[in-house]
Amino acid sequence: MTLELPVDLLFGLNFDLNLDLTKVMTANAIVLPVVLPLLAAFLMQPLAQVSRTLARLLGPLVLTLGAWIILNAWLDAGPAPFSVAIGGFAAPLGIVFYADQLALLFALAVQVFTLLFWPGLGALGAAAKADAATERQRAPRRDALALLLASAATGLALSGDLFNIFVFYELAAVASFGLVCADGSGRARIATLRYLFISAFGSVLALVGIAILYLQTGTLNLAQLAQVAPETLQGPIGLASFALLLIGFGVKAELFPLNAWVPEVYATASARVSALLAGLVSKLAILVIVRLLILVFQQPEASQLLLVLGVLGVLTGEFSAWRAQDFPRLLAFSSIGQLGLVAIAFSIDGTTGILAGTAVALHHLIIKSALFGLANRWSGGLDALTAAARGAPRAAGLFVLFALSLIGVPPLWGFWIKLLIMAGLVQGGSPLDLLALGAILLATAVEAHYLFRVALRLYQPPVPDQAPRLAPPARWDVGVAYLLGACLMVISVAITPTTEALRVLAQQTGDVTLYVDTVFPNHLAHKE
Amino acid sequence: MIPLTLETVSFAGAVGLVVIGGLGLVICNHLFRMLLALVMAESGANLLLVLTGFRDGAIAPIIGYGPAGAPLVDPLPQVLVLTAIVIGVGVQALAVAVLVRVYRSYGTLDMRELRRRMEGEIAVAAGIPAPGSAQAPLGRRPLPPVPDYELVRRSAPVRERGA
Repeated sequence: MTLELPVDLLFGLNFDLNLDLTKVMTANAIVLPVVLPLLAAFLMQPLAQVSRTLARLLGPLVLTLGAWIILNAWLDAGPAPFSVAIGGFAAPLGIVFYADQLALLFALAVQVFTLLFWPGLGALGAAAKADAATERQRAPRRDALALLLASAATGLALSGDLFNIFVFYELAAVASFGLVCADGSGRARIATLRYLFISAFGSVLALVGIAILYLQTGTLNLAQLAQVAPETLQGPIGLASFALLLIGFGVKAELFPLNAWVPEVYATASARVSALLAGLVSKLAILVIVRLLILVFQQPEASQLLLVLGVLGVLTGEFSAWRAQDFPRLLAFSSIGQLGLVAIAFSIDGTTGILAGTAVALHHLIIKSALFGLANRWSGGLDALTAAARGAPRAAGLFVLFALSLIGVPPLWGFWIKLLIMAGLVQGGSPLDLLALGAILLATAVEAHYLFRVALRLYQPPVPDQAPRLAPPARWDVGVAYLLGACLMVISVAITPTTEALRVLAQQTGDVTLYVDTVFPNHLAHKE
Repeated sequence: MIPLTLETVSFAGAVGLVVIGGLGLVICNHLFRMLLALVMAESGANLLLVLTGFRDGAIAPIIGYGPAGAPLVDPLPQVLVLTAIVIGVGVQALAVAVLVRVYRSYGTLDMRELRRRMEGEIAVAAGIPAPGSAQAPLGRRPLPPVPDYELVRRSAPVRERGA
């Protein structure tokens, strides 16, 4: 099947929805969640000239369709992973998409979360008071950028070729630059510029890492890399390549050295965009690093490097969050800390590490997105939050729920995840592991202190001579927070089946032979 | 000792360009210079990428182009580097566009100054005190003028000139 398929499908859709969709319900349909948003993003501007309502609906429609296609592919394929050669050119020369449960899970999360935090929705209320003509001009551009981000993020989850991943990564970067400065304020532009420089330099480092990898192995297909890595990538050169890739992709993953952009961008961008960047894009960057770690760089030093960066991220993030004086930057620094925790979890050996890492990544995805949604209206200093619970009791209650789970208070999911990570670290038992354990415990105490401080402020009695109170969070944001809170509660109650499902997923992700055999089915036949 | 061939020199040059670009990004405060440093680092990375397929004395990888059986360079890195160059140029063009907008609104391209203004604006929008530097001198603004070296050396007559 070729790449011309989506054009046929899109035109076919207008006439007969059922017929065309059942026809493409093969494994190949998995390329559509990447291709359709890309196509829609470029159609957005001309479509907006014809009909603004249609242009506004196009993005959510495409994302819903993408989510539906992924769900169907998942149900069709069952638990077994499958791979798709783009354009019919087989790996290793062609580009493959590899869809196992982890990839499908995150691809689905991309569609759902982009839909929940669709940037156009936040502007709907503001559009009334802002200049309507400017808003009319901006809306299609912003929607197009959001679709580009969704497409690139889905590609990051699915792609099985390192250079293809690099291209998607750059696409996601450019889309996020545009989204950050979309509201046109001067400070957002400065933040974007600094973010752009850091991110572009990270990409240069990643590119150097890719060049070294190619020099050593002669391939960039992840499955083929997995085959040749044990002979060619041991030793310092392989490690240097991993370090460069880790720092390069670590820019988006908010990992330690190149994360200075995080607080500035999240303080200046709109809260929805922050939710997408902190919740979604960072997880996909981590996912890429994890794939590399599992398939290509199996030496223990690589995991240790990830562990060290994770510990530094946890400590710097949590202590900075403790000092933060405004709500968005508190969330931003706390997000750096949480992603450090994700890195620590993934550095644990074997299935436990992948299980814990996936769980903590999903946990952070749910919670931090919802918190940034609440911060949409609560974007002031922490003092301004005093007595905000009176105006918005439900939002304040949800904040407390999410804070408790972030800290890891027992019945909630966060507790089980931290327990899992700590058990894994104790099992590892090396001095570095124990150091990480100490760092996590310390960070938890710090985290509890600053989150409880905010919660306390929310429920304080109002000060009489205070400036006008903040508006309560918008109904849509609270609704999304309710939904995500409900997810959290369901998972907390059904903790055993969730963990079992994640364990199956983690075993599948950690199985290098399965990856290679799925991408090279002929190779398997040959072996038999 | 590493032999001094064309290949070694090119590799060293490529890595050197990346290092120079990185240093430039850290050291420079002028935004346009930072952009140029970025361009340099990107060229270094691209050069390194294209060098990975380089073979001494090989010809262009087109079938029927050179003598049969002659060694060909690896075509894949050339395709990759084309993509990387296009991406790099796109990002740089975007950077220039944002840079022009920033210059129009703030009238400066000094990174430190811009960052200070940004922090100030964030603080004002959030209603919190602007962040102070740990190195900033104590006392109320405006600070008393710092005595000129010349003034200190020749104390009496210059005091009038300073005023």
